[in-house]
Amino acid sequence: MTTPDQEANAQQAPSFQDVIMRLQAYWAKHGCVILQPYDNEVGAGTNAPATTLRALGPDTWRTAYVQGCRRPTDGRYGENPNRLQFYYQFQVLIKPSPEDVQDLYLGSLKAIGIDPEKHDVRFVEDDWESPTLGAWGLGWEVWIDGMEVTQFTYFQQVGGFECSPVPAEIAYGLERLTMFVQGVDSVYDIVWSRGDDGVVFTYGDVYLENEKQYSTFNFEVADTDFLFQEFADREKECKRILRANLPLPAYDSVLKCCHTFNLLDARGVISATERMAYILRVRTLAKACCASYMKNVVGMDVEVEGIEEAEETNE
Amino acid sequence: MSNTETLAFEIGVEEVPAFDLKNATTQLEKMVPEALDGLGIPHGEVRIYSAPRRLITMVDAVATQTEAIDEVFRGPSAKIAFDAEGNPTKAAIGFAKGKGLGVEDLERRNVDGTEYVFATRHVAAQDVAALLPDVLRGLIVGLAWPRSMRWNTHREVFVRPIRWIVALLGETVVPVEYATVKADKYTYGHRVLAPGKHYVENADALLGVVEAAYVVKSQEEREAVIREGVARAEAATGYTAELPAKTLTEVINLAEYPTVMVGTFSEEFLKVPEEIIVDAMLMHQRYFPLYDANHKLTNKFIVVSNGDPACEAAIIDGNERVVAARLYDAKFFYEEDLKKPLESFVANLDEVVFQEKLGTLRAKTERVTALAGRIAAAAGLEGQDAADAKRAAYLAKADLATNAVIEFTSVQGVMGSYYAKASGETDQVAQAIAEHYRPRFSGDEPPATAVGQVVAMADKLDTICGMFAVDQLPTGTSDPFALRRSAIGIVSILGKLGGVSLVQAIDDALDILDAAGIAFDKAAVKATVEDFFITRTKVMLKDAGNGLDAIDAVMAVDVREPMELTARVQALETARQQQPEDFADLATAYARANNLRKPELGTDADESLMQPAEKALQGAIAQAEGAVASALQADDFTAALTALAALRGPIDTFFEDVMVMDEDPALRDMRLKLLNAFVSVFVNVADFSKLVKSGK
Repeated sequence: MTTPDQEANAQQAPSFQDVIMRLQAYWAKHGCVILQPYDNEVGAGTNAPATTLRALGPDTWRTAYVQGCRRPTDGRYGENPNRLQFYYQFQVLIKPSPEDVQDLYLGSLKAIGIDPEKHDVRFVEDDWESPTLGAWGLGWEVWIDGMEVTQFTYFQQVGGFECSPVPAEIAYGLERLTMFVQGVDSVYDIVWSRGDDGVVFTYGDVYLENEKQYSTFNFEVADTDFLFQEFADREKECKRILRANLPLPAYDSVLKCCHTFNLLDARGVISATERMAYILRVRTLAKACCASYMKNVVGMDVEVEGIEEAEETNE
Repeated sequence: MSNTETLAFEIGVEEVPAFDLKNATTQLEKMVPEALDGLGIPHGEVRIYSAPRRLITMVDAVATQTEAIDEVFRGPSAKIAFDAEGNPTKAAIGFAKGKGLGVEDLERRNVDGTEYVFATRHVAAQDVAALLPDVLRGLIVGLAWPRSMRWNTHREVFVRPIRWIVALLGETVVPVEYATVKADKYTYGHRVLAPGKHYVENADALLGVVEAAYVVKSQEEREAVIREGVARAEAATGYTAELPAKTLTEVINLAEYPTVMVGTFSEEFLKVPEEIIVDAMLMHQRYFPLYDANHKLTNKFIVVSNGDPACEAAIIDGNERVVAARLYDAKFFYEEDLKKPLESFVANLDEVVFQEKLGTLRAKTERVTALAGRIAAAAGLEGQDAADAKRAAYLAKADLATNAVIEFTSVQGVMGSYYAKASGETDQVAQAIAEHYRPRFSGDEPPATAVGQVVAMADKLDTICGMFAVDQLPTGTSDPFALRRSAIGIVSILGKLGGVSLVQAIDDALDILDAAGIAFDKAAVKATVEDFFITRTKVMLKDAGNGLDAIDAVMAVDVREPMELTARVQALETARQQQPEDFADLATAYARANNLRKPELGTDADESLMQPAEKALQGAIAQAEGAVASALQADDFTAALTALAALRGPIDTFFEDVMVMDEDPALRDMRLKLLNAFVSVFVNVADFSKLVKSGK
């Protein structure tokens, strides 16, 4: 239930799409390529190829993009005001990391109506590690008045390869950030858009039905036989594409495997022991894609391992 | 006499993790004086300050020049240094070279009538300003971090990127450079309260500039500010705050300008078990909970902000929203969990791997339940108690599959106990579930009830035996399953739980693992596990202040039960405290006898050859032998020691009156056989030769 006070506040504050557009404008001004969301299921903005693969190699790279992220197990049938199985991140990757990157970040908060001087902004230690990607970095989660709104990471390694130069990654949780800006307590109360004629669409108007249907699908309906088969097929396909020295399309199959695995996990059909084995299979693929990228795009002399044709045993 | 200046050195860095900052401060306190002294730079007091974005070193009265030194070294005698022709030998050349001189620089001097060669080395006074860049850069390079990082295109590493350096000797910048950051006269203030560059006139001005720029410059000062604020909040609310050390350290090092504020959450959430609320506040948000006079959690909490105190209302509002969202989740999880009986979560443990080769937590639960049954029987639990022990063991891990524990991990056990009560389990079962992780750290109490002790022991022993069975022994500093701590926990539980044999329990645990289909060499694993416990017990005994010599003496006898080992060491320590002379003397005599004896001769001494001292000893040995045997039979180690103490007089007299190694082989053999018999009395009690003479 929103109070009149909160409603008034929400009306003055930027809408969800204002937040997105202002962040895009801000980072565009600082030289970032504004990409549109990657058209494949990902669990986080980091996993999109514009970050994972482009973090590698010596070339300068600056990008910012919105990314829809799927986390099937986080679905709550639209009943929890803070949890979603599909949500949006705003992802920034700048390589090499600029000297004033923290100030740039604080500037982006101003751009969406958060004045850091009027709040308690803290950078709280948060080391990032993704065993699946063979990646790690150091940084912080950024708290505003106790709310974690951003992950800030200096990548050190991706796919087992040292990142040199070092990219800085900034990942904003768009819903949380907008809830903070608009002062609302439920994600579904976020004002998504507000027309000049006063017509308002909320996050609930846009996505509540989505959350209900996908929660049911993720937990109850997704066809597990189909998914197991898809995982095996995608794994095989990924290796085949890598043998053709095409890391970019091969990486799509890694993302498909990840998402398929996440769905199987949500369906509760992956036992704990199998779980580790699946994660290892994804890791092999992800690392092979990074190695292939280093070899075929960056031009380094590296071995691409784990892509032999043999593994037909799962059939 | 040279002039002195103040040295100020500030490493400006992006927010350093809280514990790393504390650790670096301690490192610098040692490194700075060592570095200066190592180069012979005279200096006054060294003080280290730190805040999340800076490490500051201040050194008083740093001499601008080092002192010139003439060092004189005496070398070999002239006889050795020069040969017959007066040419320098290899010894002379080597000596000169070692001091950085040529042989022609050596001079001869007479010392007490002997001529030696001498080397005099002159170290000229050096400009400290020239030495400092390397010293200061050395501090940056030398700080050790758990994890360091690179940034931009640099190869240099540090805990987080370095953004500025202030390095001043008096008014002069010391030219230090690291990762292209050059030292200058500008510091930076609090990130939002005093943004941008601040000019620092000279070294003495640095701390003042930093403080004026809204930075409370040391951990101690920030702690004082926080404690004062907390005291004010307590006075205002009438409640009491709890400040656990870990969270306090984090909070001290999460703000450069801390302000204490009080927030409130809806009383509605107090229906959720307070352990969850406290976990959410301490672990996730770094808030301090406030308790009323009855030590009940209240709906108020303390936030330490790094923001502008004038914006308190907005900052509190934001924090209250966050805590409300978290507690909403907690309440939701808790209520969801309550919809099903605790027992129903046991099935979900099948989804959680305990250890790759040892299977899931469900498999572990089955094993622990069986083992708890056996230990309960050994401990003499009957009826409801015995049933409760098995029931609690079965339910002990169930809460790990509940939503609340998945989200708030530190409340494991406690949540299980709430859910157990709500599911109609007995109070004793609920309590045992809550306490079965105890003792959790050194000095923590074991579970309060026998039922809890049985479950805690079964759980820990299954882990230890299982990990040993699959060859996952702790090594060096790596003990991921905390097996050492578990072993210590079991030993302290054994102290409470009378009648339980650890050796038997280990055997049971291994049988149960074997029955569960885990393949291993039982005899070998059993011996290793027993040894592991004996080693742990030894450490515990030592930590409790028992003499290492007493422990070693008792351990020379093959004792396999930690409780027996403990009892024996304590008995020996008590006995020798009461009769220090007897035991010191007996130890000496024993060592002597032990050295002389010839076991191959046996103990059948020829009585016809014996003199009174020998007869007396033989009689005393026979008596002690009987007394020791019956004392050990009765588990009365003190009585066994008393029986041994009675040998002191006879053995002393024996050694005084006779010469063991007599020239007559018959006499000699008789005496050696007596000594063999003497030593053998000790065999099942302790190796007295290990006892240090002075007693303690």
